[in-house]
Amino acid sequence: MIGEFEFLILSAAAHLGEDAYGAAMREVIETSGGRKCSLGALYTTLDRLEAKGLIVTRMSTPTQERGGRAKRMVRVTGKGARAAREFYEAVVRISRETAWGRAPGDPV
Amino acid sequence: MKRQRGDSGAGWRCIETAAGLLTPVEREIVLGDLAETDRSALRGVMDVLGLAARRQIALWKSWRPWAVSLGLALPASLFLMGCSVASSGAVGRLLEEPGQSHLLWLSVSRIFLLICWAWMAGFGVGAVSPRTWWASLLGCCAPCLDCLSKWPGHGISELQLLIFLVPGLWGLWRGRQHLRLSPGWAFFLVTIAMLAPITSGRGGLMYSCSLLWPGWYLVATAIRKPA
Repeated sequence: MIGEFEFLILSAAAHLGEDAYGAAMREVIETSGGRKCSLGALYTTLDRLEAKGLIVTRMSTPTQERGGRAKRMVRVTGKGARAAREFYEAVVRISRETAWGRAPGDPV
Repeated sequence: MKRQRGDSGAGWRCIETAAGLLTPVEREIVLGDLAETDRSALRGVMDVLGLAARRQIALWKSWRPWAVSLGLALPASLFLMGCSVASSGAVGRLLEEPGQSHLLWLSVSRIFLLICWAWMAGFGVGAVSPRTWWASLLGCCAPCLDCLSKWPGHGISELQLLIFLVPGLWGLWRGRQHLRLSPGWAFFLVTIAMLAPITSGRGGLMYSCSLLWPGWYLVATAIRKPA
């Protein structure tokens, strides 16, 4: 089974679709996922996911917006989508009928 | 987010300098990503250094950098320092007695063998683990610096001791460029390198022959993937 950060990356890539690449995925993870995402963590996890066959990456044509530099475009494979779905379903199953009460010190 | 960062300014230059630690392809990707964001230069530098550190750590999970830095660069530098001293000694005697043909032969053969051995070792370091060359260089220089600090001015100059570094660094450079040797050249280098401990009388035959593994590695890869 994939890990939590791998799931976030797969979800961000699936959410962005054809526009999935490093900087955009990082933005989605930080704004929607609510957690910090370093470039080091992002790119090493992308390599790992690619080695597992869960994503495929390719270099785009260079764009002016990036100072004439190419992007590493990401696409989730069928295997990657299945792995993300399995992770999500496992989280939903294990959380079912679990009431997450407020921890002491949480704002009311 | 989509504010283009100017490709100038001290902050951006720092980021570009730090990105020199990455491979060219990854450098382009990362600098492009950072050019799109409005994060501070410090955060950009930390991002790049963090990625470079993760890449280095990942490299050290393999046997290659360990074998090359601890199993080759470090012991080979001890052996090659001895060969350098022997070669420079032979040349010194030749300069004192220029007419001696056997001294000329001895000097030329020792220097030739030293060059072959050091080039092969450097090539092995560069070819087997090109991205950890800095650790191999550190492993190679540590015994040299130790020698120089323990015996300063002991009748041996730094130049005499470190002659091997020139062909060694040349070999390292060529190895990092993924130059592929033909099987014939690889066999030739290993055979010649085997003669070095015999003619120099340095380091012990078993010790120096055991350091020939990068040569055999080159032979094996040359046979598998002909030039």
